Amino acid sequence: MSKNRKENFNPEKGYVAILGWSVNAIEAADRFDRRYVVVAPDWAEEYCVEHQIPYVPWNFERLNDRSMEIAQTLKDMGVNVAIPLFEETVEWAGAINSVLLDNPRLFGQAMLLRDKALMKRRAQLGGIRVGIFEEAHDKEDVVRFLKRVNQTLLKLDGDPNDPIHLKAFDKAGCLGHRVIRTPDEVDSIPDEEFPVLMESHLDGWEFAVEAWIHNGKIRFLNISEYVTLGYSVFVPATPELEKYRAQITTQIEKLIKTFDIEFGFIHPEYFVTNDGEMYFGEVAYRPPGFKVFELLERAYGFNAYQGLILSFDPKTTEEEITSFFPKEVVDAKGVAGCFGVYPRRRVVSRLEIPEETEEHEYFESHELTAPLEETVTKRTAFGTHWGLLYFFGPDPIVMRDLLKHQEDLDFYV
Amino acid sequence: MTDSEAHDTARLDSLSEKLDEALRTLAEVSDFAKHTRIRRVFDTARRLMLQEGGCARVEARARQLDEAGVFMGSDWAQPQTLIPSLTSHSLKSPDADTVVVEALSELRLLAIALGDYVHPGMSSEQAHHNLTQVMAINLELLFGAPSEAEREQQGKLALLPRNLFRHLAERIGYEHVIDKLIEEIWRILQQRPIQVDSVKQMITQIAICQANPDIDLGISGQGADRLISSLYGTTQACRVDPGVEVYRERLNSMDAGALQYEATGFARAMHDTGLVSPYHAVLLRYLLEQSDHLLSEALGLSSTGRDCLLCYGELVHAMIDEAVHPQTAQAIYGLALLLEKGILYQPPAAPALWRQLALPISSYCQQRLSLAFGPELSPRVWLMQGVLCMLGQPLGVGQGNNPTCQSARALSMWAYNDPDYLLQMVVWAARDDEIIIHFEGQPISSRESASGVATELPLDLDPVSLLVVPHLDRIYAEMGRRCIGREGDPHRWVNPEFHGWWSGRGFRINVDVETGKLDQLEDFLRHFYASYHPYFNGNQPLIHPQPAGIAVTDSAARFVGWHAITILRVTLDPREEMRVYFYNPNNDSGQNWGNGVEVSTSGNGERFGESSLPFEQFASRLYIFHYDPLESGELAQVSVEALERVKGLIYQSWGADRLPAEPLQASAPH
Repeated sequence: MSKNRKENFNPEKGYVAILGWSVNAIEAADRFDRRYVVVAPDWAEEYCVEHQIPYVPWNFERLNDRSMEIAQTLKDMGVNVAIPLFEETVEWAGAINSVLLDNPRLFGQAMLLRDKALMKRRAQLGGIRVGIFEEAHDKEDVVRFLKRVNQTLLKLDGDPNDPIHLKAFDKAGCLGHRVIRTPDEVDSIPDEEFPVLMESHLDGWEFAVEAWIHNGKIRFLNISEYVTLGYSVFVPATPELEKYRAQITTQIEKLIKTFDIEFGFIHPEYFVTNDGEMYFGEVAYRPPGFKVFELLERAYGFNAYQGLILSFDPKTTEEEITSFFPKEVVDAKGVAGCFGVYPRRRVVSRLEIPEETEEHEYFESHELTAPLEETVTKRTAFGTHWGLLYFFGPDPIVMRDLLKHQEDLDFYV
Repeated sequence: MTDSEAHDTARLDSLSEKLDEALRTLAEVSDFAKHTRIRRVFDTARRLMLQEGGCARVEARARQLDEAGVFMGSDWAQPQTLIPSLTSHSLKSPDADTVVVEALSELRLLAIALGDYVHPGMSSEQAHHNLTQVMAINLELLFGAPSEAEREQQGKLALLPRNLFRHLAERIGYEHVIDKLIEEIWRILQQRPIQVDSVKQMITQIAICQANPDIDLGISGQGADRLISSLYGTTQACRVDPGVEVYRERLNSMDAGALQYEATGFARAMHDTGLVSPYHAVLLRYLLEQSDHLLSEALGLSSTGRDCLLCYGELVHAMIDEAVHPQTAQAIYGLALLLEKGILYQPPAAPALWRQLALPISSYCQQRLSLAFGPELSPRVWLMQGVLCMLGQPLGVGQGNNPTCQSARALSMWAYNDPDYLLQMVVWAARDDEIIIHFEGQPISSRESASGVATELPLDLDPVSLLVVPHLDRIYAEMGRRCIGREGDPHRWVNPEFHGWWSGRGFRINVDVETGKLDQLEDFLRHFYASYHPYFNGNQPLIHPQPAGIAVTDSAARFVGWHAITILRVTLDPREEMRVYFYNPNNDSGQNWGNGVEVSTSGNGERFGESSLPFEQFASRLYIFHYDPLESGELAQVSVEALERVKGLIYQSWGADRLPAEPLQASAPH
């Protein structure tokens, strides 16, 4: 028996559609005081029927002529707003919300947020600092860009090159992210990955921000500190990074203005260089990967998905949203972090959590499973870890060092 | 406190705190998403239980664990359905989560057993019984160090079950563990169940521990010898458990005197414990070629049984040849009791058993039997063994871990009262995969009926139940469906049609089906006395077994559920107290039903497999009985005091919240 079935929803509040399938998000909605419906592919139907989860089947392929159909269906149901959970559903949410909220601009905004090259241009126009970037359509473009970037840096032949980063236009986070240092490495890129976005490497500190926005104002701003990109993240950040909070807030406000964001949730990435300059990396209009929402709940105790619903719901009141979110950093009960495990050996036979990890006071749990294959595929891109380890403790410095140390350990032997 | 002690305590505190936090987040999430929060609970509980003193911390949180939903949706969801013998596999699993959830479940049982956690579905006695059996089956975890295989499979995890069992033994009382186990085994054996595999497993464990020089059992375990020897060293020639081949060799060189000695040794052990040694089967097969006199000795027959054996020698030989093998040795006990009961003198019995011997078994039934009992012996051997055991021990039928008490009760009743009808049922089920029983003139086919009470096909049953119960269950459910819309309780019509003509068509129930409240309680009780109590029914002993319904309560006298039983006899016990003797299809009838009502299974004149209660106590848990409507039906003049005692027992137990709303009595004006 579930506790808060939807007969308990508050009729004064909005009716939200959740685009995409995430049990954590659905579960949070199910316990919240808003009416909700899950829009997901038809393989989710059985589960939804079994657990009495309100559900509308929809296959999120590329936007097509039928996108009006789902918007109309949801409108007829009385849904007030659609919330995207994944990169692939961002443009759908834009299309649907432009109908539900009668605001055609929202669709354009979503398309902007889905294309990394368009996004950077818009940021640049808004006066936000970005690195050097260019689109590549084939391998030659990549070689040319690599050379030109390094010429700009006044490198001589034989000096080690500064790397460049390649990212897919429209994929989430680390998916399809490659680092290229030499022209030889360019050959390893499969043709089907083009076109890609190329960026110069910024020597600095990369971090991510999660910001909940309502009525154009930031309601909660979290800074997620990466220990090593693609491996680990923790919240709240160390005081060393948190000292930039005021500057970061200014940057986010610029972003909100530039992209004309009235409500919802954004997840941008930045670099801060040694001289304290902020460079914009990219921004996503959906929850981050790497379980940051779960880490936030562990650290602060609020449910980040319910925060998401609040920030999207046009019927959320000022008072409600203000009292929902805690005060950043000071209200955290501790620091929560996670580490993505990659096997370090080429051949592995079993999972063995190192004693020092498991015995560490901060260790909480892991999601690693026994290896299915003995040979480990060579890693070419970020974003394919074998499972996460979770930690929680009082000291952000201990957390950072602990997460860093995990990189030197074998979990698969 | 030393530094290291302080450190250990600090660590326990920190892990307990983490566990509390993990449980809190698990508790708050909706049921369908429990799995998204369970990892932290498992990982933290595992680390806690690996710490010295950690199991105590977990035990203290047993209720929170259960209520947060740790067991939800798993095989461990209902503690009352847990089967002790399965624990040895899960505790040795290489999968950490399986070990952890099993250990958590044991600690939950412990909390229930010690009364710290009052569980709605399980009494503390049940939990205690279950836990003792778990300990019996896993004795080596209590006394032995991890084996090489365990270390290889489980690594450090192998310490967890050991910490757990040390904690369990400390809480329950170390010195008594083994003796308690032995007591427990005897208590179960006195009920003479057909299925004795788990008992055998427990005895084997005690034997292994006794034989292990690294394990010091102290003075405990003395009482185990009789049990162990009944299985592994019953007689002179198999004293040191030499293996069946060696034993068979030894028989060749024995003269009649030595064989006689072997035969009586086995027979005595078998009738003493209800357990049959595999060596006994070897002897019996050998004796087929010797004399019927020795055969009769080996079966431990009285003159009645011996007569029967001699009259039907050929049939008995054929049945031994078919059904008695070291793996199916229990068939010997069934056969011996069958002969003693003289069933074979009923005209249809012998030909029906000949039919059974030649019965072609459907391929579906063959598969089911092989799945349940293994492929080593042919399915027909197992079925024949099952038939012998059920006919010999009708009160040893158990429902297993299934909600099919009615079907088990019917099988038991037929085996007891109408054996050739039972044999007919077996034929229809095993050969035709279909049973048809008529309900008010309309045939009901088990094949056409949609579903039964049980949602899954059971496997934990004796061979006959395994094949027949699914059919009966569907038919029973279909009869119930055909009563939909009728006023009152459907058992009124279903019970007589389902069980047999001898079930009284008269029907009384003391609960109003609409409201669930008590209804005409006093008339009900007076009628029950008039129908069943020899002092009130003209001293008429009960003739046929009668189905009846019981409101089962736990040791705290709280209502647990409705349950089907059979009333077998009502008579004076050795202390001259009037008792009701009845059959309970659940697998262990020794139960404490609260407010002084303790079901006895031995020591009060019970025959093997019978349960008994003093008449008044029985009446206080009864809610349905049948009677012959042609009997006078005059209500018994039971004394007011006696009725008040019975009503008191009802009001203090399952009737507590079923009192009908009393109309307000206007006091008469003076």
